[in-house]
Amino acid sequence: MTSTTLAPARRRLPLELIGGWEVGLLIFMVLLYIAGVFINPKFFGQTDAISAILRDTARYGVMAAGMTFVIINKDLDLSVGSTFGLVATVFSLAFSTSYYDLGIVPSLAAAIIVGLGVGLLNGFFVTVLRVPSFITTLTMLFIGRGFVLGLTGGKTVSYSEKALTAPWFFQIGETNALGFNNQILIFALVTIVGMFVLAKTRWGYETYATGGNELAATYAGIPTRRVRMRAYVLSALAATLAGLMSVAQDKGITSQYGQGAELIVIAAVIVGGASILGGRGRLLGGALGAILVTLIDKVLREGIPMTRTVKVGDVEMQVQGMAQLPPGAVPAFLGLILLISVLIEPWIIRRNVFPRLWARLRGRPLPPIIEMGGVAIEGAQTKGSSASDRSMRARGPIGHFLARRDAAAIILAVVLWCAGLYLRPDFWGSLDNTFNLMLSFTEVGLLSIGMTYVIANGDIDLSVGSVLALSAATCAFLMKQMGFDPWQAVFIALIAGAAAGVVNALLTVSFGLPAFVATLGMFYMARGIGAWLTAGRQLSSFPEAFNLLGRKLIDALAYFGVSPAKGTLLYDIAAALSVQTIFMVIVAILAGIVLAKTPFGQMVYATGGNRRAADYAGISTARVRAISLVFSALCAAFAGVIYVAFLRSFNPSAGQLRELDAIAAVIIGGGSIFGGYGTVLGALAGAAVIALIRALLSLQLILGNGQSFVMPQHWVNVFIGLILVIAVVGDIWFRQGDLAGSVRRRFSRKSGPARETAHV
Amino acid sequence: MSENKTAKPIVEMRHISKAFGPVQALKDINLTLGEGEILGLVGDNSAGKSTLMKVMTGAYQRDSGDVLVSGKPTHFKNPHESREEGIEMIYQDFALCGNMDIAQNIFLGRWPKKGLFVDRNRMYAEADQVLKRLKVDVNSVFQKVESLSGGRQQSVAIARAISFNPRVVVLDEPTANLSVMATERLLETMAELKRQGVAQIIISHRLTDIFEVGDRIMVMKRGQNVGDRYIQHTTEQEVLELIVSGTPETALTADQALAGRAA
Repeated sequence: MTSTTLAPARRRLPLELIGGWEVGLLIFMVLLYIAGVFINPKFFGQTDAISAILRDTARYGVMAAGMTFVIINKDLDLSVGSTFGLVATVFSLAFSTSYYDLGIVPSLAAAIIVGLGVGLLNGFFVTVLRVPSFITTLTMLFIGRGFVLGLTGGKTVSYSEKALTAPWFFQIGETNALGFNNQILIFALVTIVGMFVLAKTRWGYETYATGGNELAATYAGIPTRRVRMRAYVLSALAATLAGLMSVAQDKGITSQYGQGAELIVIAAVIVGGASILGGRGRLLGGALGAILVTLIDKVLREGIPMTRTVKVGDVEMQVQGMAQLPPGAVPAFLGLILLISVLIEPWIIRRNVFPRLWARLRGRPLPPIIEMGGVAIEGAQTKGSSASDRSMRARGPIGHFLARRDAAAIILAVVLWCAGLYLRPDFWGSLDNTFNLMLSFTEVGLLSIGMTYVIANGDIDLSVGSVLALSAATCAFLMKQMGFDPWQAVFIALIAGAAAGVVNALLTVSFGLPAFVATLGMFYMARGIGAWLTAGRQLSSFPEAFNLLGRKLIDALAYFGVSPAKGTLLYDIAAALSVQTIFMVIVAILAGIVLAKTPFGQMVYATGGNRRAADYAGISTARVRAISLVFSALCAAFAGVIYVAFLRSFNPSAGQLRELDAIAAVIIGGGSIFGGYGTVLGALAGAAVIALIRALLSLQLILGNGQSFVMPQHWVNVFIGLILVIAVVGDIWFRQGDLAGSVRRRFSRKSGPARETAHV
Repeated sequence: MSENKTAKPIVEMRHISKAFGPVQALKDINLTLGEGEILGLVGDNSAGKSTLMKVMTGAYQRDSGDVLVSGKPTHFKNPHESREEGIEMIYQDFALCGNMDIAQNIFLGRWPKKGLFVDRNRMYAEADQVLKRLKVDVNSVFQKVESLSGGRQQSVAIARAISFNPRVVVLDEPTANLSVMATERLLETMAELKRQGVAQIIISHRLTDIFEVGDRIMVMKRGQNVGDRYIQHTTEQEVLELIVSGTPETALTADQALAGRAA
C-alpha cells in the first residue's frame, strides 16, 4: 500500500445514517405511492389511510429497530412476535379486572420484566451455551406462543373501562392534538435514536465488527458475547414496547396477538438492505422496510376495494368488492417477500448491480463487484468443538453401546415407556394404546428420517411441518374439489411436496442462502399455499381405498379379503400395526442402509463434516445437499398424505410444530446441529422419545382425590420446545464438548497428577 | 546438490501471468520442479505463492503462459484434472472431515465400493497400508479425525495425498500450525517421500524448515521470481535479503547463481 496522507480537516466524513439503498428504497416507495393514488384514490388518497398504515407500521418498525441490531450481529431473532404477544398477555392479565387486577405501574413492570427475561434467555442460550440462534429463537417462538395460549386459555381479554383510570399510558395508542397517532411519534423517536446509536456510537461499531468477523472482533478485544447479548435484549425490549403500544391502542388482547409478526419484522429489516449474513444494514432501511412490508401485508390482508362490472343477462352491473386473499394465504406472500429480499443483499447490493448499470449507461468504467459470489456469501460453517474419543476407549459390549451417539435416545425411550406403564398400568400396555403410540411415532419418525439426512449434511429443514400441510391440502383438495382419483391425487401431492423441496434446494445450494433462511421462507409459504387451497372448504369423506393408507393393517387385509382369524397372534399384530407404520419402517430401512452403508451416505457425512474438504475431494456437495433437502420434503409429503388418510379430513393446523419434533428427534438420536452426525436408527429412537413424551404428557391421570387431570395441548408444546433446547445444549456440551469428561478430569487432577493425552 | 542439475523437470511453468481485475498477481513467472526434488517457495504475503500453486493445480486459470507436466502442455480446468496427472495439494487447514475416521478421510470421496455398498474391509486394509508406507503411527484407522492432534491430522492429510500415488505434492504452509515435535516428524515424512521419488513443493515462512529438507529455494516478490538458489550453496541470510530487496535482476536460475558464485 502507498503511504496515506492525512485528509484535510474540512473533508466531509461519510454520513453513515443513510446510504444508497435507503435512498433508492425511499424513491421506490414514493413512486409506489403515486401509482397507488392513481390506481386506487379511495385507498391511497386519504390522509386517514396513510395515518392508519403508519400507525400499524409503528409497532413493526419499533421491532425492526431491535431486529436490525440482531441481524447485523449475524444472528436472528424469530421470537419477536411471540415476545410481543407474551408481553401483551402478561400486561393484560395483570391489569384486567377479571384476572389479577393490579395497578398500571405493576402491570407495566411485570410486562417489561417478562420482555427483558426473554431477551436475556435468548442471549444466554445463543452466546453462552452456543446454541445456534435460529434454533434458540424458534423454540422461544413456540414456547412463547404456548404460554400465550395457556395463559389466556384461548380467550379474549378486554379492559376498556379500566383503561380510563390510567389515561397517561393508554394515550400512547390514541391520536394526539397534532392529528396523528402517538405510536407514530414513538416509531420516529425509536428510529432516530437507533440510527444514531448504530451509526455514531461504539455500540454500533461493535455491532458491525461482531457481525462482520466475530473472531477478528474478539481478537480486537470487543466483548462479542456481550454485544450479541445486548442485541437480543434490545430486540426483546423493542418487542415489549411494541406489545405495550398495541395494548394501549386495543385495550385488550386476543390469543392470536403477534402471530407471524417475526416474519414481517425480519422481512422488513432485510428489505431495508441488511444482510442475513451479518455486518451490513442500517436502521433507517429497517424502518422504511417496515413501512413497505406492512403496506403489502395490509393490502393482502384487507384487500383493495375495487369495482367490477358483472353482466347479468343483458344488464351490466357495477359491483363493489374487495380483492383480497383468504386469511391463511397471506403468509405465503410474506414468505416469498422474505426470500426475495434475502437474495437482494448478496445478489444486488454486493454485486453493485445498480452502480454498474449506471456506469454502463454513461459509458464509464464499471465499478468492481465487491465480493465474488459463490462461497463468499455463505456463512462460515460452524463446527462443534472436538468430540472426545470415548468410543476408542470403550470396553466391552456395554461400554461400546454407551459410546454410541444414539445410546441416550434408546435408553430414554425404554425408560419413558416404563414410566408410562408405571403411571397407567391399566391402559399403557393395551393394544389400543400401542396402536396410538405407533401412529404418533410414525408421523414424527417419517419426518425425522428425512431430517436426519438434512442435519447430517450440516443444513436444517424448518419447513417439514408446512410441507406436510401443503401436501395434505393438495391431496384433499384434488380429490374433493377436482374429482381426481386417489392415486393421481397422492402422486400430485407428493410432487407438490417434492417441488417445495426443490425450491429449498435451489435457494440453499444455487443461491447460497443459509438453509435455515430458505426453509424459513418455505415454512410460511407452504402453509400459506395449503391454507389458500383449502380456504373455506369442507374437505372430508374420501374414497375408502384411499383411507386405507391411514388404517390398521387388519382393515387393509379385510378390504382385500385376506384377514386372519380373530384371536390368533397374526390378528393381534395386524390390529396393532397400521399401514402407515409399515410404510414408515420400509422407508426407514432403505434410508438407513443408504446412509450407513453406501458411498452416498458417506458423502452426506463428509459434506456435513467439512464441506470444503468434501468439495476438494471431488464430492458434488451441491448435489448431495439438494438430494437431502428434496428427500426431506418428500418424507414430509408422504406424512401429509397419510395424515389425510388417517384423519379422513384436512385440518389447516396439520403438521404444526412438527418441525420442532423432527429436529428434536434427530438431535436426541445423536445428530449434531452443526452437521456431520446422525443415524436413521438414532432418529427413530429420538422420534420414539418424542412420541412417548407427548403421549405421557397428554395421559389422563387419576389423582389421589379421584379427580382426573389432563395437561392441555399448548403446555405440552411448551414442554417439547424445552426438550429440543435441552437436546441441543446437551449435544453441544456433553456429546461434542465432553463436558462430563472435563469435569471428571478436573476432579481427578486434584487427587493426582494430570494424565496428559498421548497426542503431540 | 549438483545431481539435481541434470534431473529432468516434472513440472515446468513458463511465463505465467495472472491478474485479478486491476491487480497483477503473477507477472511472467517461471518455475521448474525436478523429479524427486523438494522446492521451497518463499516470499512475503501477497507475493503470489499460493496463486502460482493454484494456477498449477488448475484452481485458477492463467491469463497467459504454459504449464508442462512431464514435458506435456496441460490446461487443467480444476484441481481434479491435475490430480489425474499426479499433482496433489495439501491445504493449510488439511481439508479433512472431523466427524469421519482416518480411513474414511484417506478415501474421502472415492470410498471403495462392493456393489452398492462401501467396501469397508478393503478401505481399512488399504488405509493401513498407506499409513505404513508413510511410516506414521496412529493408534487406529478407526479413530475420528477431530480427536487427533494437529500433527496427526496433517499425517492423515498427507496419507490421503499419497494414496493417489502422486508424482508431485504441494504443501501449503504445512508447519504453520504444528508443534516443534510434529514439525520434526513432518520433515522426516517429507524426506521419506523424497526417497520414494515424489517431488514436493513446500510453501513456508519458516526458512529453517526449508533449509532442513529442501533441495532448492525460490523467492517470489510481487508476482515475480526474484531468486532461485540451491539450498547447498546459499544461506538463510542471502534468502532473507532476496525476500526483502530482491528484484527480477537477482532472479537468475539456480544454476546461473551457482555458476556466478563459482566465478
